[in-house]
Formats: sequence, structure tokens, C-alpha cells
Amino acid sequence: MSQLYYEDIATDDELEPREQLPTEDKAVEFFGRDNPTNPAFGDAEAGRRMGFGGALVPGLLKLSWITNYVGMWAGSEANLRSVRVAFRRPDIAGRPLTLAGRVVDKRQEDGVNVVELEVVTLADDQPTVRGNVQVEIPSRP
Amino acid sequence: MADVTESKITDEHRAMIGQRSDPIEVVPKTADAQRMRDLLGDTDPRWADGTGVAPPYILAMLEPRLPAELSPQVLSSGILTQTEWKFSQPIKLEEPLQAVTQLIDVRDRLGGRYGYSVLVMFQTSYLNSAGEEAAASLRTITQFDRPES
Repeated sequence: MSQLYYEDIATDDELEPREQLPTEDKAVEFFGRDNPTNPAFGDAEAGRRMGFGGALVPGLLKLSWITNYVGMWAGSEANLRSVRVAFRRPDIAGRPLTLAGRVVDKRQEDGVNVVELEVVTLADDQPTVRGNVQVEIPSRP
Repeated sequence: MADVTESKITDEHRAMIGQRSDPIEVVPKTADAQRMRDLLGDTDPRWADGTGVAPPYILAMLEPRLPAELSPQVLSSGILTQTEWKFSQPIKLEEPLQAVTQLIDVRDRLGGRYGYSVLVMFQTSYLNSAGEEAAASLRTITQFDRPES
């Protein structure tokens, strides 16, 4: 895991895209097999009964992927301030998702370096989740 | 879908804004943190085994159900459309937090894929044993009427 420093980051920098393959099994495992969750997360037929094309990918799993994606990009000396996402359309298990991100602002607030990113999940090149992430990133020592 | 020209939000619905739930104790579990870390492939040393620190996405396991008594039912159906997590302090594993949920806004939304819809916004604050906010989550439910079939 590498570390980014504030001085090395520029607006419009892009994060390297990362692909994820959501599955029913991952959805169930994410919440824990003994914990009750929406049946449509682990059962394609339940998802179809709800009017979707199969098992639904939990929004909280996608939010966690985004959180981890930015965290791994920024490095372990960075501090996540906030992650805000809008769920634009449902994702169906078995269809690959691509996470992509871009730096949209960097600024100093009360002596703290703040970097803001836009992050999306893409399915078939269409955004399914759009997010904004704020992260505090240290200056180069 | 029928056009809606005036708000369906009543004074009674608006009067619910600001109401808070009773605190609910939630505990960030070590086993949950390990399982989620492994699933996501997270190698961040800050929340590795033995650190006692939870990864930020542990909030996914802590979020309490939205309390019915705080949820104005303006339209017949609802779906989670936005979530925000905010972090103020590291979350410690096995240290109980008090989760307090508040209805923070109810507003109309005209247009969009649901036609007339209503946005209902909740904030859950996670307070540590000193009463300080360690994290918060904001959830927006979009309420809409299902078209008659």
C-alpha cells in the first residue's frame, strides 16, 4: 500500500480503475451468513420477483467498495472525512462493476489538506452509483 | 403518471422534523471487521488484526433500521437513494456506541424518474462513551407512489 502526499496530487488526476465482480455469495458474506438481509441480495429469483433482472447488489457493499477504493489510493496516513453516494440505478449480481475516480478539488482548511474526489461505479459504461469523497492527505515530510 | 401541482407534505409531517429516536447501543464487532476486510481485500495496516480499530465501512453493519415513528409516510413506496458517511474519530472494535437517529428534513421533488416524489432525510449519530460523535450517517429515502397496474 503506497502513500500519496498532498503536493503530489493535482485536480483532474484520475484513479486507476478497479473492477469488481459482485455475486450473490459476496452479498451474503458481506453482511454475514447469520445476519438477516434483503432476500433479493442472495437469491436471483427473489430479485426477479421484485422486478429486477436478478439478485440485487447491496448499496452498502458498493459504498464500502468505494470507501476502500479511495482509502487504498490515498494511503494509510490519510484520513477519510466523508463519503456521499447517490444510488442511480440497481446493479445485478454477476455483472462486472468498474470503480473509477477523479480528483475534483484540493484545498487547505484550517491547516488541513483536503482532497475531494468524484467516484462512480460503472456497469456497461453507465454510472450506477455516483459519489463524492473527502479525504485529508498529509504533506510530504 | 398524474401531474402533482401541490405538495402532499402536511404540517403534521413537517412537525416530525427534528424528532430523535431513543439511543440504541451498537457494537462494532471484531468478527464483522475481519470478514468485511477480507471480502474487500483491504490491506490497510490501521485496522489490521490486533489494532483494535474498525475499518470505516463497519458502519454498514451498525446502521439501525429507520424508526417507524420518525418516518412520515407521505407516499406509498420508498427506496434508499443516497447515503453519506462522515467520520470524526477512529471507531474502536468492541466499544459500544450509542446510535441516535433524527429526522432532519422532508421535502418535495418534482420531476425525475419517479415523477412527483418526496425526499425524507435521516441522520444517525454514533456517540462514544464520552458522548462525542465518532461517526454519522445520512440516509435519504425517496418516497413515490407506484403507478397503478
